[in-house]
Amino acid sequence: MLRFSFIFRGRGVAKRFVSSFSNESALPPNLLLPTNLVDPDRLKRPPPPADSSLPLLRKCDAAVPAHLTPVQTWVESMERQDSEPLGVAQLHPDVFAVPPRLDILHSVETWQRNYKRISHAHTKVRSEVSGGGRKPWKQKGSGRARHGSIRSPIWRGGGVAHGPRGPTSYYYMLPMKVRVQGLKVALSSKMAQDDLHIVDSLNIPTPDSQYLLDLIRHRHWGESVLIVDVGEDFSENILQATANLKTVNIIPAIGLNVHSMLKHEAIVLTLETVKFLEDKLLWHDERYTPLYPFKLPYSDFP
Amino acid sequence: MFVSDPWLRYKQRTRVAQDSEHAWKQKTVDMSLLGGLLRAGASYCQSAGTLLHTVRTISTGTCCQIRMHAIPQPKKVDRWTEKRSMYGVYDNIGILGDFKAHPKDLIVAPCWLKAFKGNELQRAIRKKKMVGDRMMTQDRHNLEKRIRFLYRRFNRTGKHR
Repeated sequence: MLRFSFIFRGRGVAKRFVSSFSNESALPPNLLLPTNLVDPDRLKRPPPPADSSLPLLRKCDAAVPAHLTPVQTWVESMERQDSEPLGVAQLHPDVFAVPPRLDILHSVETWQRNYKRISHAHTKVRSEVSGGGRKPWKQKGSGRARHGSIRSPIWRGGGVAHGPRGPTSYYYMLPMKVRVQGLKVALSSKMAQDDLHIVDSLNIPTPDSQYLLDLIRHRHWGESVLIVDVGEDFSENILQATANLKTVNIIPAIGLNVHSMLKHEAIVLTLETVKFLEDKLLWHDERYTPLYPFKLPYSDFP
Repeated sequence: MFVSDPWLRYKQRTRVAQDSEHAWKQKTVDMSLLGGLLRAGASYCQSAGTLLHTVRTISTGTCCQIRMHAIPQPKKVDRWTEKRSMYGVYDNIGILGDFKAHPKDLIVAPCWLKAFKGNELQRAIRKKKMVGDRMMTQDRHNLEKRIRFLYRRFNRTGKHR
């Protein structure tokens, strides 16, 4: 295959273009390919077959409906860069294999952008601008147009007639089940596009950021990775390794949201995180409607 | 000397600079750019030094004086700053965190706007109710005037009342 001497952002798709041309670099150097183009290098490891030899490390805790089968994925390890997967895990289809509802994803994403938006644009009305209480000249006889104050909107330096007024809020809340479904759809989309990776634990041997970058590049996870773990205590190594990296971020499982999942190309979950997410997201399928807000005590929840 | 010509001295005193340059051009043969003209004119005649400030830009050459970038450079935005990469985290703190907190607790806003949406009159009334006794006198007076105006505008004029 021909090699490139310049940097490009595609994930190897450019190589297929070049091989069909002979002795010329067919692509312009400033070409920006979308990074989620299917890359033949990443198709090396297909999803695990039903009868794989590796042990089944996790089964679904909740009951799977009879007409659905659990989704199976590899469970990998971050200890060594080039290690083979440790085993296979089963994920609940009602969380990780829901139909891809793009409209729900769009509405949840716009909700996330707008509900905390406060616009501080403010203009003064003619009554708030300093001055302008007196009639500038008498009504008749001066030959000039009639005016009542020097701060009316048609005057230079006058108030704004219909401008933005004060801090404005754009707050609204989507129904709880829509937000829950948005999380499920985002997780299912990441799973369906091979961007979700399950890891047994987040123990890495060194606090070196370069180790993480090499691991991600070796396994072709993508340009940006979101690491999700349950609990507030993370190991020092992973915290230090991700502290200096911009595109690799670690968040607790409580902070999972659709915007972050869409912004990062790959998501890495631990087995405990998967259990936590399934627990929280499946509860909404079979709950009663709240008679009073959930933050007040219920006898059987949490 | 140039100044001794009485006709030209009259023109320097009464006419605009352009005409005087034109007259100079008739004297000097090979001047095409403005700078050269002025410099030549100034060197010829000291009394014309004051006219330098009133000269308009004319160009008799072929090069274009206006220079600008035809396609400006796109501004460079870093898509992975701390704020952008961590945007939206904890938005689902209610459904994932046992409902001990609500996403409305995350909003950074003035206290009368936290988890509230309304039109201008509703916002003004809420501000007066919550913060009015803490406000400065001029601001409070303006707020009260605004509420009065908006109430009359919404409830007494127009189609909807």
